Amino acid sequence: MVPLLAAVLVLSWAAAVCAAEDVGTERDPLECVNRKIFWFNDKLDVYVLAPVATGWEKVSPRRVRTSVSNFFGNLRFPIVTVNDLLQGKVKDSASDVGRFAVNTTVGVFGFFDPASGWGLVKHDEDFGQTLGVWGVPPGPYLVLPLLGPSDPRDATGFAVDYALSVTPFFIDEAILWGARVGDTVNERSFVLKQVEDAKASAFDYYAFVRNAYLQRRRALVRDLAEGSAEESEELYHLEFDLEEKP
Amino acid sequence: MSRRHRTLAAVALASCLAGVARAGESPRAIVEKMTQAAIDVLGQKGLSSEEKRHRIEDLAYANIDFDIMSRLVLARNWGRLSAAQQAEFVRLFKEHLALTYGRSIESYNNEKVEVVGERDEGRGDWTVKTKILRGGGNADVLVEYRLRQENDAWRIIDVVIERVSLVANFRSQFQEIMGSGGPAKLLDVLREKNAKGEPLKS
Repeated sequence: MVPLLAAVLVLSWAAAVCAAEDVGTERDPLECVNRKIFWFNDKLDVYVLAPVATGWEKVSPRRVRTSVSNFFGNLRFPIVTVNDLLQGKVKDSASDVGRFAVNTTVGVFGFFDPASGWGLVKHDEDFGQTLGVWGVPPGPYLVLPLLGPSDPRDATGFAVDYALSVTPFFIDEAILWGARVGDTVNERSFVLKQVEDAKASAFDYYAFVRNAYLQRRRALVRDLAEGSAEESEELYHLEFDLEEKP
Repeated sequence: MSRRHRTLAAVALASCLAGVARAGESPRAIVEKMTQAAIDVLGQKGLSSEEKRHRIEDLAYANIDFDIMSRLVLARNWGRLSAAQQAEFVRLFKEHLALTYGRSIESYNNEKVEVVGERDEGRGDWTVKTKILRGGGNADVLVEYRLRQENDAWRIIDVVIERVSLVANFRSQFQEIMGSGGPAKLLDVLREKNAKGEPLKS
């Protein structure tokens, strides 16, 4: 329960510091609080997660890390399959059941991913996306302690998915937390250079992450289909200042 | 006509034709050529990182329309800059992008690029979809280039990686900076960032 306690502490600190002065922007009304939590998460990453992940990257070949990632990815099978169904993607859900069966057996408990080679490709679904497909708006941008970028829709989705991840009663809670930490460290080890580059090149790292998160989640809800004509208009055609050139 | 003259005429004609072909080149051909040229540079053995960086920069300068991109990333804030500030912004932003892409040179790992589709966006824009094939069981990366036609030539105005648009992302960052400190702060931040990016020589 240490993470929960830490989360509550960070939240109350951020709320206290920002009490009255939070103005924010239309997409980010809680910007002040969000920035504080983002700062905390970043420090945790810089001083704990990234160094551990760097160490893990040094001692383990990529094959091993990919296998660990496969293993945890395979355990997400109930989440993906249920959300396939909730979004009416019956074919995808059948494919994901097959994927789980193949990778758990032929793929030795999910450490290998022969299914992808057999045409049973990986799908990325979660309950936050399902809510989006159902037409629930995301709500204001939120940065959650420890968990990072989110919004009320995705936070709800996270909680529901968490309940969906079946955890056998005979496995000790300490082991589950350990597995979660291991999964996080392992995933972080794949993007060490990318995060470093992003930080070095961003003008406002907080805004960089916020925008990337919002764009990416919007795209995932559409299953990476093209954006709307209005979005394209807003992004690429600014009549009022594009007309005359200097 | 002497033999020499004939050869000269042929060369002149050929280069004229090449010129015409370049002006009328399709967005798809431009992206194909550019990505292939970039891969060739990155994969070339015996080329120093510095030299590679220069060549990648040249490719970017030749194919990206930094004027339009600058307006798009500043959006409504563009008009808040004086003409001189606008010119400086374009120069600094261009330099920033070159530095950023220069950074990725070290991480090239035999990736291949494939053009997988294209679509007409209307109003003079065209999108070319590419995939970076990473191999070794790694997921492919979807990279789209949005091009706009100006004076008969297509040039890139946005790069969209896995549906995350660089223009949209920069716009959001510049919005924050303009909101808190206006044009002067914006240019300061860019100058500072580029100065820090400089000691990249490896």
